Amino acid sequence: MQDQNQQAYDRGTSIFSPDGRLYQVEYAREAIKRGTASVGVRTADGVVLAADRQVRSPLVEEQSIEKLHRIDDHIAVASAGHVADARQLVDFAREQAQVNKLRYDEPIGVESLAKEVTDYIQRYTQSGGVRPFGVALAIGGVDPDGTPKLFETDPSGTPYEWKATAIGGNREALQGFLEEEYRPDMDLDSGVSLALETIAQGEDDEAVDPQAAEVTVIDTETHGVRSLDPEEIASHLDELDGGETDE
Amino acid sequence: MSRFTDPLTGADAVGDPTAPELTDGFDGASGAGGANAGDRDEGSVNKTGTTTVGIATDDGVVVATDRRASLGGRFVSNKSVQKVEQIHPTGVLTLVGSVGGAQSFIRTLRSEADLYEVRKGESISIGALATLAGNFARGGPWFAINPILAGVDEEGSHVYSIDPAGGVMADDYTVTGSGMQLAYGTIEGEYDEAMSMADARDLAVRAVEAASERDTGSGNGVYVAEVTGDGVDIEGFDDTDAALAER
Repeated sequence: MQDQNQQAYDRGTSIFSPDGRLYQVEYAREAIKRGTASVGVRTADGVVLAADRQVRSPLVEEQSIEKLHRIDDHIAVASAGHVADARQLVDFAREQAQVNKLRYDEPIGVESLAKEVTDYIQRYTQSGGVRPFGVALAIGGVDPDGTPKLFETDPSGTPYEWKATAIGGNREALQGFLEEEYRPDMDLDSGVSLALETIAQGEDDEAVDPQAAEVTVIDTETHGVRSLDPEEIASHLDELDGGETDE
Repeated sequence: MSRFTDPLTGADAVGDPTAPELTDGFDGASGAGGANAGDRDEGSVNKTGTTTVGIATDDGVVVATDRRASLGGRFVSNKSVQKVEQIHPTGVLTLVGSVGGAQSFIRTLRSEADLYEVRKGESISIGALATLAGNFARGGPWFAINPILAGVDEEGSHVYSIDPAGGVMADDYTVTGSGMQLAYGTIEGEYDEAMSMADARDLAVRAVEAASERDTGSGNGVYVAEVTGDGVDIEGFDDTDAALAER
């Protein structure tokens, strides 16, 4: 599977291969693909983050599998990949959000937070004796001036800004679906529906279990992070089903 | 402080909200303006003594300062000190207290404001700058400073006093320095919320003039800064009458 001559260069994160690649960073991206997908959708009046939990056993408490995390009053994060790695970045982001408030007495901007996190991730690609973070984050929120923003972090430490994106397993297919279906003028409700529909594309039976799904919205009206309860998610899913039979 | 460290340097990866990012040659308590400042021969340390006045109007803010530096309040060591400096596209800070501490404080805040602007793509609000200044005054190596921060931002005109322990207080007008009681006496009763920039300028200069007459730490003319949404204009005058006649 591996090229013979790459073996010497895939041991450390701080070593380039002769053709200029950082294999450990690329392997970290592979780790992200092994997880279930998370989706972020930016609408005119807020950002939607959605994820599907992988429930391995009916005995697992679903609520204990956390893929969406509140960072501050106005920012939340969806993760894909190594949960343990994600938790470190989530807490780093939470601290940075509080540092900004302590330092300037104002909420941190979504872009500023995304860049603080990616700068931190980057350090793990240029240091010896460490491995990169095996996780991608979708960082969604509303800026202090009311602008909704959506960013992605990847293991190289590069920040990307998106209108809508999928991270994790099956990413290409889900991203393709979003590219087809995304409308810049959609409202927050349509954003929730699109996010759930996108998540469903990744399921074998294209059906989302409302108990296993997670949806968080950050709306421009309140600047607040709100998690939808399973009933709300179920009603969105019902609408989607109804919409499809109408067609 | 934080459990997140830089893998390369071992340094704290989460910024200290009370410390400047760039420290202008200081190393906390051991620095030149640090906690050992009291050990120095007070007779040889230049103090501004000072009267600095800031008045906010609807159209902008006016700051007037005297021009005297003194040693121990008994010898005039300089007769043309500019005690108001631009630190922001639409903001100024006054030098009050130890000249060395105040100058260093200004350099640091100016750098922090510039860093904020290039990183976030917009200039820092005056309120955030006041919080930052208060954090530095409280946690940093600057002692014996009591400046006024005045400026204009999207929210309007602001005047803050920053005390040596980091207290930050917003007001319509404020005075700091050894001549404060004389200057306040002049402003009190004359200030009007609806006053024009020209009238505020006149009042600020007369307040410095009153202090210059009776306070041994204040005198030798006046510097006047006018700050509007368009920028900062600072001008010095050998005597206060010249500043009054200006308009």
